[in-house]
Amino acid sequence: MSLIKHIAFSLLLLAAAQNQQVQVQREYQLKAAFLFNFCQFVNWPADAFTSGEAPLVIGVLGPNPFGSYLEETVSGEKISGRPVEIRYFKEPDEVGDCHLLFIGGNNAKESSEGIAATKGKNILTISDQPNFLKQDGMIRFMNQQNKIRFEINVEAARSAGLEISSKLLRLADIYTNPKTDRNVPKGHSN
Amino acid sequence: MKSRISNYSPLLLLPTAVCLFFLASPVHAQVPDSAYSASSLKRLSLEELMNIEVTSVSKKPERLNEAPSAIQVITSDDIRQSGVTTLPEALRLAANLQVAKVNASQWAISARGFNNVLADKLLVMIDGRTVYTPLYAGVYWDVQNVMLEDVDRIEVVSGPGGTLWGANAVNGVINIITKSSKATKGLFLQAASGNQLPWMANARFGGNIGDKVSYRIYGMGYKLADTRLVEGDGKANDSWSMAQGGIRVDYQSSSKDQLTVQGDFYDGFPNPDGATAVVVMGGNMLARWSHKVSDKSEWRIQTYYDHTWRDLRNGFTEKLQTLDLDWQYRFPVGKNHEFTWGGDLRRIGDKKHNLELFAFDPEQRNLHIYATFLQDKISVIRDQLDITLGAKVEHNSYTHYEYSPSARVAWTPAGKHLLWAAVSRAVRTPSRIDRDFTLSVAPGVPLIQSSDMVAATLVAYEIGWRTQPTATLSLSVSPFYHVYDKLRSVEPGPPPTGFPLTFGNGVKGHTYGLEIAGNWQAMRWWRLRGGYTFLKKKLKVKEESDDMNNASAESNDAENQILLQSYFDIGKQVEAGIVFRHISKLPQPVVSAYSGLDLRIAWQMSSFLELSVTGQNLLDDRHIEFIPTSPSARAIVRSVYGQLTCRL
Repeated sequence: MSLIKHIAFSLLLLAAAQNQQVQVQREYQLKAAFLFNFCQFVNWPADAFTSGEAPLVIGVLGPNPFGSYLEETVSGEKISGRPVEIRYFKEPDEVGDCHLLFIGGNNAKESSEGIAATKGKNILTISDQPNFLKQDGMIRFMNQQNKIRFEINVEAARSAGLEISSKLLRLADIYTNPKTDRNVPKGHSN
Repeated sequence: MKSRISNYSPLLLLPTAVCLFFLASPVHAQVPDSAYSASSLKRLSLEELMNIEVTSVSKKPERLNEAPSAIQVITSDDIRQSGVTTLPEALRLAANLQVAKVNASQWAISARGFNNVLADKLLVMIDGRTVYTPLYAGVYWDVQNVMLEDVDRIEVVSGPGGTLWGANAVNGVINIITKSSKATKGLFLQAASGNQLPWMANARFGGNIGDKVSYRIYGMGYKLADTRLVEGDGKANDSWSMAQGGIRVDYQSSSKDQLTVQGDFYDGFPNPDGATAVVVMGGNMLARWSHKVSDKSEWRIQTYYDHTWRDLRNGFTEKLQTLDLDWQYRFPVGKNHEFTWGGDLRRIGDKKHNLELFAFDPEQRNLHIYATFLQDKISVIRDQLDITLGAKVEHNSYTHYEYSPSARVAWTPAGKHLLWAAVSRAVRTPSRIDRDFTLSVAPGVPLIQSSDMVAATLVAYEIGWRTQPTATLSLSVSPFYHVYDKLRSVEPGPPPTGFPLTFGNGVKGHTYGLEIAGNWQAMRWWRLRGGYTFLKKKLKVKEESDDMNNASAESNDAENQILLQSYFDIGKQVEAGIVFRHISKLPQPVVSAYSGLDLRIAWQMSSFLELSVTGQNLLDDRHIEFIPTSPSARAIVRSVYGQLTCRL
């Protein structure tokens, strides 16, 4: 009897876990489409690419929440004539040449190490981490009323030599650095 | 009257397939599970991605089967990419509306026919505020301005909405919804000029106070150039200008409570007859508090004050003050019932300054409306079959109690299809011109005199099919059959003179038609939308009547109209858009069929600066869209304007 209970309980847990997974997946399916969209609204300096046909590289640092979804999204796509490639990096010191870096995990330390690893390079950094923009990250995803919103730190992007199109800015919340503007507390999401 | 509870989030996904959560919540879009494939998601624009719910499709407001009505949605993208500059022009982007420009400041706008400058069967709301005039129960379009940049979406429901929205929502409801101030941060500056638009300027600034309060403040103005005389090339001298400003503050105290306070004021000089410009002035203030009790329950309370002033500059003036309080409460009862209950109290103070021969009696009149409605949505088969029954009781100062019941069935056999059917009754209650008006040829010799006209009624039979086979494609088809009775007639006076003429309820008849609308995100960078509307009207004079308009119901409608809009990106910096429309002949008086083509091309010069050029009515030098009773008809000419936009 207790064995049956045990099995039933395990199955329940499994079902719950799977259900959870489905939800996470949908969120990151959407976010994969966002990342791909972002590529089209950012201008990288010419020397960020080794050649005219060199691929545009989307990097994922740390745990990969997208599964194979990011690959499926970019497969067969070109951006300004360039193919799009996905690379995965386990640790910040592995971060190699990429143009857009999604920093996984939800931990401030990981994201700040990730940002540090991109310093001096023309890399657009993106994360879910709540304090990401304070740490000089560039784009942060937020969930608002069950929908995905994003916030942009324009200054951080500019100092990495990236130009973000106004189309993208129009849809974003614009992050104001509290050092320069104390009246605008940020980092609030529900 | 009844504005739906709304969070004013930008909602742009697959507009015509979106669902009107008909009871009390915003339009919500649903993407079926199967549509979450990488290939379909990546074709969506960012705006569309931002409108997909992240979790659980089982939550009430997002199901496709909750749009059992002929709703079409104009998104902010549709508006921007079309290059339109004024609200009535933006309404041309709804295939289920009849929109005709009459002269530089007047429009004839209706749904499902009965179009006229004084069209009186359409309910129009701007952010939940009813903008109709009790003078003739229609809309003065010259004072309905919104800054199009800050419009979130325009929802157009054709067909009666009386059960929720009350009298006047006879043939349709237009809901103009502006963005929350949370979504309009930063500085926006825009200037435009062209041959038919001597100047237009728009400015807005938005920001935060703390992390719970956001605000915006705006100012706008324009001058519209002369239309042309029908005979010859002369200008109609009807050019006019207006200015408007306003503010909106949103306070989100928690994820459950949202408080909005907004207000506008304006001043303008429309000059429809090309003689003396009319002076219009007005302002309004609105406060709305919505509270979410749970996923299945919410309430909203709203109040507004609206003040308008119109001086015809011939001695006749009109001052109108409206004070309105309305509320709505949605709550579940048991497992299978969801009730929405609401009410509305309105006081309209209308004060005219009469002319000797053109007079309202009494000069000043306070009109009161008290209304309450109850609607029950019954889930017959969970997630598959819903029946919604509702009724509104409304008391007005002229005809006292009026009833607007309705019954709707929505069937979702498979997630991608929705079939619906509805029977509803709506009423058009008399206005001041029907009941209190006298036009005389000499003092004491009336030519037209109001009478005890009663409400006109409509019983509408509608069915519809909505489908969304993929995340990027949606289609809706809505046939309808409307039966009208007691429509306004003009009756001759007693013999021998036949004067004064009076208004009666001597016309009845029916209309039938079909509305088709579709949306296709063909590529990530290319969107196509469009629609076709067919309308047939058969009215006749009732036996007891001698209607002098011979059952025209003072309206003039095209049988066929087509709309196509396409817009696409050319690289990162350039976007181009086309709007094509065709309106078939208007029968009486005859207005020839015409086609209009608008083209817009915009170049993003830098991250904050955009330059665009728009050509409107490119297919002909000039055409007439509508012939009003007065003033004379005018010709609308081809136009081009350039525009510079700065977003910081």
